[in-house]
Amino acid sequence: MTERREAVVVEFFEVTKSFGTKRVLDRLSFTVRRGETVVVLGASGSGKSVMLKHINGLVRPDSGGVLALGCGVSHLEEEQLAELRRRISYIFQQSALFDSLSVGENVAYPLRLHTTLEEEEIAERVATLLARVGLAGTERLEPSQLSGGMRKRVALARGLALGPELILYDEPTAGLDPLTGLAIVDLIREVAATSGATSLVVTHDLAAARRLDCRVAFLENGRFAFDGRLEEAAAAPGTVRSFVQAGGFHD
Amino acid sequence: MSLPERLYDLTWRRVRHLGGVSLLAVQTARRMVMPPYNVRAVVAQLEALGVRSTNLAAIIATFTGMVLALQTAYTLAAFGAKLYIGEVVGMSLVRELGPVLTALMVGGRVGAGITAELGAMTVSEQVDALRSLGADPIRELVVPRMWALAIGLPLLTVLADAMGILGGMLISTWELGLDPSFYFSHVLRLMGYGDFLSGLGKSVCFALAIGLIAAYNGLSARGGADGVGRATTDTVVAIAITVLGLDFFLTKLFLSL
Repeated sequence: MTERREAVVVEFFEVTKSFGTKRVLDRLSFTVRRGETVVVLGASGSGKSVMLKHINGLVRPDSGGVLALGCGVSHLEEEQLAELRRRISYIFQQSALFDSLSVGENVAYPLRLHTTLEEEEIAERVATLLARVGLAGTERLEPSQLSGGMRKRVALARGLALGPELILYDEPTAGLDPLTGLAIVDLIREVAATSGATSLVVTHDLAAARRLDCRVAFLENGRFAFDGRLEEAAAAPGTVRSFVQAGGFHD
Repeated sequence: MSLPERLYDLTWRRVRHLGGVSLLAVQTARRMVMPPYNVRAVVAQLEALGVRSTNLAAIIATFTGMVLALQTAYTLAAFGAKLYIGEVVGMSLVRELGPVLTALMVGGRVGAGITAELGAMTVSEQVDALRSLGADPIRELVVPRMWALAIGLPLLTVLADAMGILGGMLISTWELGLDPSFYFSHVLRLMGYGDFLSGLGKSVCFALAIGLIAAYNGLSARGGADGVGRATTDTVVAIAITVLGLDFFLTKLFLSL
C-alpha cells in the first residue's frame, strides 16, 4: 500500500475550482504515477491549464485537495511551495522567458537562485542544457530574437536546469507550425525517456498526443470524460469521439 | 446594473484595492528589512528610476523657481517688500514645492514605468514563471524598486530644491537687479534643518506610496496589452491623488512637531 502511494506523483481529490460564476473544475479526481507521461486533452477553455496550475500551487482549489510529490499542495504556505517548486518544472504556453535577461541568463536563473555553483560551473551547465535542446551557442541572444519554437526550447532548458522530478507542459505546441510542433513533442519524449521525470502535457493538439503515444485523459465540463489510450478514445461516446475524429483520428 | 448595485460594486472594488495595496505594503516592508539583500538589483533600479529622471526633475524645478520668483516679486512689490524674495522662494521650495512637484512629475514617470513593466511581466506569465522557479516575485521585483525609490526620490528632491533656488536667483538678478549673494543670504536666513528634513521626510513617504501603488497595479494587471494600459493610467491618476492627499496630512504632522 505504501509502495503504491509512493508511486503516485500527482493526485487530484474531488477538486473544484470556479472563477466568478463559471465552474472550471468540478470535483475532479485524477492520479499520475511516477515515470508516466500523460496527455490531458480538451477543448480551448476547458480548464486544462487551470488544472495544471493546481499542481505547483499557482492556483488554489475552492475545495478538494491536490497532492504533488507527496506534498499536500493546497495547504502549503508560499515559502513551502517554493521548496516544492524546485522539484517541479512548469513550461508555460507563452514560454514566459524573462525579457530583460539573455537566453543564457534565463537558463542560469534557477541555478543562481537555488545552487551555490560557481559562475564557471553555471556557464558549463547552461551550455550543456542548451545543447540538449538543440540550441548550442545561443547564450548571448535575447528572447526577442528567438522564434516561437526556439523560445519553447529555451523554456525547456530552463525547466530542466534543476533536474525536476515532474515536468508540466502547458500547450507545448501552441502557436507553432506542425513540423516545429512535432520537433518539440519529440524533445518531450526524449527528455521523458532520458531523465525519467514524470510528464504531464496539456494540449488540444491531437497530432502531438498521437506522437507521444501514451495515456490520454479528456477534460470536459470540469471532469475527465475519458482516461485511456488514444485508440480507445476514437470509440468513446459523445464529445470525446467527436473531438478525436475532428482531429483526423479514426479507429 | 442599477445605481445601488454600481455603488456597491465600486465601493467593493476600492476596498479590495486598498486591502491589496496594504497587504503588499506589509509583505514588502518585511522583505525590505530581512536578508538577503540584492544590492546589485537596487543599484540597477536606482540607475533606471533615479538617474534617468534627473533632467526632468532639474528642468521642472528650475522653471518652478523662476515662476515663483516672478510671482513673488510681483506680489511683494505691492508692499515694498520684494527684497524678501529669497526667503519666500527658499522656504516654498524646500518645504513644499520641491518634494511635491518632484513626486508628481518623477513619480508619474517612474510609477507608470513600473506598472507597465510589471504588468507586461504579469500578463505574459513571467511573474508566474518566477513563482514556478521557486523565486519570490515581491523580493525579486518589488523590493529593489522600493529601495531605489526610497533612496532616489529624496536625492532628486534635493536636486530640485537646489535648481529651484538657482532659478529664483536668475530672476532676482536679471529682472529685479538683486545681487546673487544678497539673494542667497536671504534664502538661508529663515531656513533651518527642520525645514529641509520635513521636505526630505515627505519625499521618502511619497516614494514608498508611489512604489506600492505602481507595483500593486502592475502585479494585478489582467487581460493583455489593454489591461496593462488601463493599469498604467490608473497608476498615474492614483499617484497624483495620493501624493497631494498625503502632502496635506504630512504637512499637518510636520508643522505640529
